[in-house]
Amino acid sequence: MKNSQQLESTMSCAEFQEQLPELFASGNGGVPSDPNLQAHLDTCENCSALVRDLQYIADQARMLLEPAQDEPSDDVWSNIQNKLKSEQAEGGFPSSPPLPS
Amino acid sequence: MTVTMSSESSPVNLQTPPATPPATEPRAAQGLFKRNPPIAGEAEAIEAAKAGDPEAFSKLYALHKRRVYTLCLRMLGNVSEAEDMTQEAFLHLFRKIGSFRGESAFSTWLHRLTVNLVLMQLRKKGLQLVSLEETINPSEDDAPKRDFGSRDPHLTGSVDRVTLERAVASLPPGYRMVFVLHDVEGYEHNEIATMLECSTGNSKSQLHKARLKLRELLRESGQSLQPAVLKEAVR
Repeated sequence: MKNSQQLESTMSCAEFQEQLPELFASGNGGVPSDPNLQAHLDTCENCSALVRDLQYIADQARMLLEPAQDEPSDDVWSNIQNKLKSEQAEGGFPSSPPLPS
Repeated sequence: MTVTMSSESSPVNLQTPPATPPATEPRAAQGLFKRNPPIAGEAEAIEAAKAGDPEAFSKLYALHKRRVYTLCLRMLGNVSEAEDMTQEAFLHLFRKIGSFRGESAFSTWLHRLTVNLVLMQLRKKGLQLVSLEETINPSEDDAPKRDFGSRDPHLTGSVDRVTLERAVASLPPGYRMVFVLHDVEGYEHNEIATMLECSTGNSKSQLHKARLKLRELLRESGQSLQPAVLKEAVR
């Protein structure tokens, strides 16, 4: 406990937050393996809230992987069809596929 | 400028993602593979498309259009450009589908192809991805504020998808790109560094700033995190 307090006193919030990019990149979910960082995290409400929020945001980002309901307009598929057709006509694609109907 | 993702040549100077992942394929690709399980009927459609079956092309487009379009929209932030890139991605796919050997998830392969196309487009528009710090870093006004000693430091209800999507859309382009590639699409920093021609440290730094900026935006919009979720997140 005493050691933890000593460690906490040696690290400012600025110093702790400078380490955050590497801390998150380490893949431990914002949990530091460095005892100095952990000591600061244990005793600083501000920084622990920051770490929780940033980890939460990273976790929530995964729900965006599933596509939204938005989709391209029908023109996109029409354009693809037309483009393939013209490229085929020009012989630009030796292996070009037949035009999708 | 060619995006260096593969040794394969291409008539449009865009290198198609490798159909076979390299031995050192990072965790992200494995993660993406897990997050992109085969879709029913997809394998058959791919083989049929290779044989030139027009219905198969149509099916592949129907299966993947939303995801490709969403990716383009997030990276470009513009509907018109996103549709153009969606079109280019599928054209490229149809031209190159013969080189897909099914050794990685098709959607992963398609996504990488799409990301490459979008990055090429951004370069054509003059966005220099070589130096993230100098060129796609936001202005001081857009940069996240430092958070030392805030009295109400944490987000306080749950963040729903729509709110988060809006916040991501309002990120400065450089932050948004790294956030989408890493946190949404699952690319690793070393992959992003290769794609954007920057250092891995730069990628990490940009991602961190993006998350800080998102936190700021979500707090401004009155979003909060539920205590139970907070506890779960820090576990």
